Amino acid sequence: MIRLGIPGLILSLWFLMAVTGPFLPLHPERIDLVNILTGPGLNEALGYDDLGRPVLDRLLLGASTSFFVAFWVVTISVVIGTFVGTFSAYIGGYVDQVVVRIIDIFLAFPGILLAIALSGIMGPGIENVVVALSIVGWVGFARLARAQTLSLKHREHVVAAVSLGTVQRKIIVRHLFPLISAPLIIEATFGIASVVIAEAGLSFLGLGVQPPDASWGSMIRDGARYMLVAPHMVLAPGIALMLVVLSVNLLGDRLRDWMDVKGRSVVKK
Amino acid sequence: MLVSALLSSCAKQPDDAIRFGLSSAPISLDPRFATDAASARLNRLLYHRLVDFDDSSRPIPSLASWEALTPVHYRFSLKENGRQFQNSRFQKNKSLSTADVKATYDYILKSENASPHRASISLIRDIRVVDEDTIDFYLDRPDPLFPGYLVIGILPAEAVQSGRKFDRMSMGSGEFSFLDWPEDGLIRLKRRSDNQIFEFIHVGDATVRVLKLLRGEIDLLQNDLPRELVSYLEKQDGHKVVHRGGSNFTYIGFNTQDPVLKIDGVRQAIAYAINRDEIIKYVMGGKTRKANALLPPDHWAGNPSLQAYEYNPGRARELLSKLGYNVDQPLSITYKTSSDPFRIRIATIIQQQLAEVGIKVDLRSYDWATFYGDIKEGRFQMYSLSWVGIKSPDIFRYVFHSTAVPPAGANRGRYNNSKVDQLIEQAEKGVDQAERAEVYRKLQEELLMTLPYVPLWYEEHFYAAASSIDGYTLAVDGNYDGLIYVHRTQ
Repeated sequence: MIRLGIPGLILSLWFLMAVTGPFLPLHPERIDLVNILTGPGLNEALGYDDLGRPVLDRLLLGASTSFFVAFWVVTISVVIGTFVGTFSAYIGGYVDQVVVRIIDIFLAFPGILLAIALSGIMGPGIENVVVALSIVGWVGFARLARAQTLSLKHREHVVAAVSLGTVQRKIIVRHLFPLISAPLIIEATFGIASVVIAEAGLSFLGLGVQPPDASWGSMIRDGARYMLVAPHMVLAPGIALMLVVLSVNLLGDRLRDWMDVKGRSVVKK
Repeated sequence: MLVSALLSSCAKQPDDAIRFGLSSAPISLDPRFATDAASARLNRLLYHRLVDFDDSSRPIPSLASWEALTPVHYRFSLKENGRQFQNSRFQKNKSLSTADVKATYDYILKSENASPHRASISLIRDIRVVDEDTIDFYLDRPDPLFPGYLVIGILPAEAVQSGRKFDRMSMGSGEFSFLDWPEDGLIRLKRRSDNQIFEFIHVGDATVRVLKLLRGEIDLLQNDLPRELVSYLEKQDGHKVVHRGGSNFTYIGFNTQDPVLKIDGVRQAIAYAINRDEIIKYVMGGKTRKANALLPPDHWAGNPSLQAYEYNPGRARELLSKLGYNVDQPLSITYKTSSDPFRIRIATIIQQQLAEVGIKVDLRSYDWATFYGDIKEGRFQMYSLSWVGIKSPDIFRYVFHSTAVPPAGANRGRYNNSKVDQLIEQAEKGVDQAERAEVYRKLQEELLMTLPYVPLWYEEHFYAAASSIDGYTLAVDGNYDGLIYVHRTQ
């Protein structure tokens, strides 16, 4: 069985924060000017921010922002990418040529730059961030799915299905998807980490959530201005972001090792 | 020995310079084109202008004194002082004459030169040189505020005629001469009275600016720090921080054509719902003053007896409930602001204060160009901005007259009040200053009552300096003229 350990714990905590956050009695937007920049203490574990709002509450709210964005971007990217990649490779010919060119064009841009440009055009807002990151994100999945399909479509079981007259859709769903899903799932886990970072980056630039909503990226941006007088404002979201991304990457690595049949048999010897 | 002496003298040179930290880099040092605050403040050091202002914003002679021969004919006589142009590769020992004044103003008045200052002096019909020291300005229409418009730095006539660009150099007659602009974010000037070198260093990040001051990499900085960093600086040894009240006016503007915001009760409710005392106490600097009008009370046309909208959430709720809104059925308003973190911070507090009385504010922050474009086009319900460096009450025509809708003026809220129009016109026709001031006071009363703007405050100015820096003074509009007298004590 895959070893979850501390990264698993951190991720479950992140998930729990994200899912229960909206239902907890939090006051992430309650401004209390008396408490401006008060450091961590007995009343408030992580202190207050530059408007006297509790940092812990905002951290929890930020968790759900980053989780929401990561979930939707990765889901949309995986669905669109897999669909486009698989069909393009399976159909082949001119369709495939065109799709490959489109993928190349997208890959020619540095991903985050394209996302910045897109959210700049569409205007600030968290929904637009999801759209922008999905437009950038599907390409990687499409390329992976296409490569996998190309190598699989001449396998004997697919050829057999074709000769038996199975309909195309069934071949793709029954005979191809199960085999290409493993690398796609692993790619998706890494995708989560990069989307969390990208969302933080866009929010840091002011293109993500709009005040007074919180996101870890926007919290780091606000906190950076007060680093000299109130380091807790930037440390709390910064460490949270680091832990989540590190955990996702570690678990992704372990998942890859676990799903790699060759690697597993070696371990068992 | 000799080598070491040379080395030490080389090393000592930059230490003698007084270094000034700028929060935003100047864009152009050409007084005909500069509009941003940093450029305008440096230009005041590099160039002399015909007219300047005293502390209550009355125009006073700078290069020239004047008399109005008729309401449309002004005669300016150049004075003895401040007329020596800076020596440069192109000119030696040239003294400022009326030909230079004419050349500079003729250039700005030519529409193909597209000077942003043209609109403010477009009432000039003709400029005639009488002799070396006397020059006549003829106007299209009488305007008693006219001398106050002649605040643009005078360039040498030859330089204007040569078509040379002055955005990254200077040939002024000011107290400072331009040395060089070796890289982006570093400008070096020399004070002409004692050859003291000044370096203007652009440090965008507030925290870095504070750290540079503490480490001695800059000697002086002015404004643009969060209050928390100012108090942090005040606690450090070896530095001093000095505050003074300012005249730069921050306000909330409304689109008076908007179906909701054209209702007087809504705007009044907003005015009553904002707790300015609390914001000033916790977020603004200590010398920030509450504002009731665009001109501060110590301005010659200011009105010190205006009845302020004091914080009164009960009254705000009452006004809103008359219109059918309350905390459970809130009124929704979009509030646009620039993406400057300090502005967002203030806007977020106002958002919270308005939520408490039943106005749900949708806060939108945009980069400056988008924001400013939207404001000029009238694409907003509510926004906040500041008027910086306002001296002359002609601002009222520019901002509130019904004919001043952009691009003709800055009536961005499409405010249309015939009483205000009439008062503005009446003030412009006033015979003497006292009479005009009286009408302007009435006008400001009417504006406060009808609320095209909710006035917020006049932001304070402060400077922080190493303790070896002495003699710097803060101006009411935040200019850098204090550098003329600043010196380093050893």
